[in-house]
Amino acid sequence: MEIVVAIKPVPEGETRLRPNAAQSGFDPDGVKFVLAGYDESAVEQALLLKESIPGSRVRAVSFGPGPRTEEVLRAAIALGCDAATWVEHPVDLLPDAVLSARAVAAALAASPPELLICGRQSGDEESGVFPGAVGAVLGVPSLGYAVNLRWDPTTARLTLQRSIEGGLESVETALPCLVGLQQAWNDPRTAKLPNILKSRKAVIEKIPWEQSKAALGRHASPTSVRRQFRLPAPRTGARMIPYDSPADAAQKLVRALREEAKVFP
Amino acid sequence: MPDFALTEEQRSLQDLARKFARTEMAPRAAECDRLGRFPEEVMRKAWELGLMNLNIPAEYGGSGLGLVDQCLIVEELAHACAGMTTSVIANCLALEPILLGGSEEQRRSVLSSFCSSYHLASFCLTEPGGGSDAGALQTRARRDGDHYVLDGEKCFITNGPHASLYTVFATTDPALRHKGICAFYVPRDTEGVTPGKEEEKMGHRASSTSTVRFERARVPVAQRLGAEGDGFSIAMRTLDQTRTPIGALATGIAQAALDHAAAYSLKRQTFGKPIAEHQAIQIKLANMAQDVHAARLLTWNAAWEIDQGRKGTLESSIAKCYASDAAMRVADEAIQVFGGYGYMKDYPVEKLLRDAKLAQIYEGSNEIQRIVIARELLRPYA
Repeated sequence: MEIVVAIKPVPEGETRLRPNAAQSGFDPDGVKFVLAGYDESAVEQALLLKESIPGSRVRAVSFGPGPRTEEVLRAAIALGCDAATWVEHPVDLLPDAVLSARAVAAALAASPPELLICGRQSGDEESGVFPGAVGAVLGVPSLGYAVNLRWDPTTARLTLQRSIEGGLESVETALPCLVGLQQAWNDPRTAKLPNILKSRKAVIEKIPWEQSKAALGRHASPTSVRRQFRLPAPRTGARMIPYDSPADAAQKLVRALREEAKVFP
Repeated sequence: MPDFALTEEQRSLQDLARKFARTEMAPRAAECDRLGRFPEEVMRKAWELGLMNLNIPAEYGGSGLGLVDQCLIVEELAHACAGMTTSVIANCLALEPILLGGSEEQRRSVLSSFCSSYHLASFCLTEPGGGSDAGALQTRARRDGDHYVLDGEKCFITNGPHASLYTVFATTDPALRHKGICAFYVPRDTEGVTPGKEEEKMGHRASSTSTVRFERARVPVAQRLGAEGDGFSIAMRTLDQTRTPIGALATGIAQAALDHAAAYSLKRQTFGKPIAEHQAIQIKLANMAQDVHAARLLTWNAAWEIDQGRKGTLESSIAKCYASDAAMRVADEAIQVFGGYGYMKDYPVEKLLRDAKLAQIYEGSNEIQRIVIARELLRPYA
């Protein structure tokens, strides 16, 4: 079985993003891109399944611009993925989740995977649309908020748990299907140094944007367009209210809330 | 113009080391320092991730990294805890003599076993009676048939109590000085080999240090590295390789001190504003940053020289000496920025000063480094 895991390069959590000159997105200069938490869990799950299913392999796939996308795919190979497919797009394309889903689905169309795993949402935009959208385009059922995937070779069915309000729901499914993984339930492994060195030499299959564009036809542009990327306005400072006694403080506070902030009538 | 840009591969190695330092080393650093506890679990995990035997070539199962790559990793590790780092990189020091002086068969049998499972090795050169004057060592190696019989005591041995193998320097005749020294590798279970009690140290307290005694320890001639009398040269060439990473270790300490001081200076308020807005503090931070930057670049330069196949004697001595002196200055100033809190053990900076001190002493004291630097720099004028 080939398990495909879809991943996305996202800015490292500690990065301070700045808007680019056009204020259409962030300025990627100096930004470090990494596998986000949900994707790390997805890769870990794919590798755990691989280790439990003899003869299976894991392919990582990612839709994004260079060099960040190639780098996260190499990181996935260093973690233990057997192969990687880079579905490339120009850095200024700014795709939405639906276009990403279509592009990844088109890249996988030649040999659709039996099991596609991804994080339930990306680590940057967190819209959570991608898993369901890929499932819809590929015509396979998708299961989100999943943890703890197990493959039963005798029944040829996949079991998993889904986070629902107040507990976990156990689900059993046939393949093909798509699973959106919850974050960090499985303690993602760290790539070992020799594997990092090997991953640098791994051959990554690259699908150029022209090819994806031809396959997608009129769908080759984002459906929703991000118009502006701005930092939030700086917050104004708090005002200290001087007082003589707790009763005086309460009175002055209520007056300020009513007369200045107009919180009460 | 030299190119200071790191490759993506180097960034990945740096990331791995940084992540390991932050998640595995840093959370245990204060406790191990306080208790003088050797973090066996951290050591094992470092081995599992391939962060331990960095200098062993791929053909023996190691990573075979160049010195620049090694330095990038060592700096990141030392940022979290210099003591643990010293213990993690002690295998590089102890196994380098086998790489440099061992036969193909010796290399294959010893080095491969260190890469296939977790073992520690210790480099045994220094003796109670002398460190810098290695030519005067007193541990005896008397030939007896196809064995040597080793007698003597080594001190300040990193990982001594935990090592399963010692590389030992001993002399067939002290009167021959340098020319009488032989190098051996000696498994710990050899009869007559006894590590002593752990030393209580000022810094590097997570690292384990002890004496190692050799009493009528019989070592097969097959465990001698190179020819009889090659030992001194093997030891010196080993230190030529391992001196530069000490510059990286010191840079890591200095960077940590600067990071702590800069972050604290933005939080701590005096006279109505963060102390980072006072010029007295700004000047301190600026001087610290210069030291850190210079230490790092000198270290990279020395590592690069050696990676080019040159000896790099001058550069590596400058790097080790400058970076360790810089680490002392920067850690000292970091404490000053923290004020009274910097003197308290609840805060992280006093440890950095204690840790930095060792970098001025071990792997060739800074006085010895200056002698080497002077000798090398005067050569063209002679």
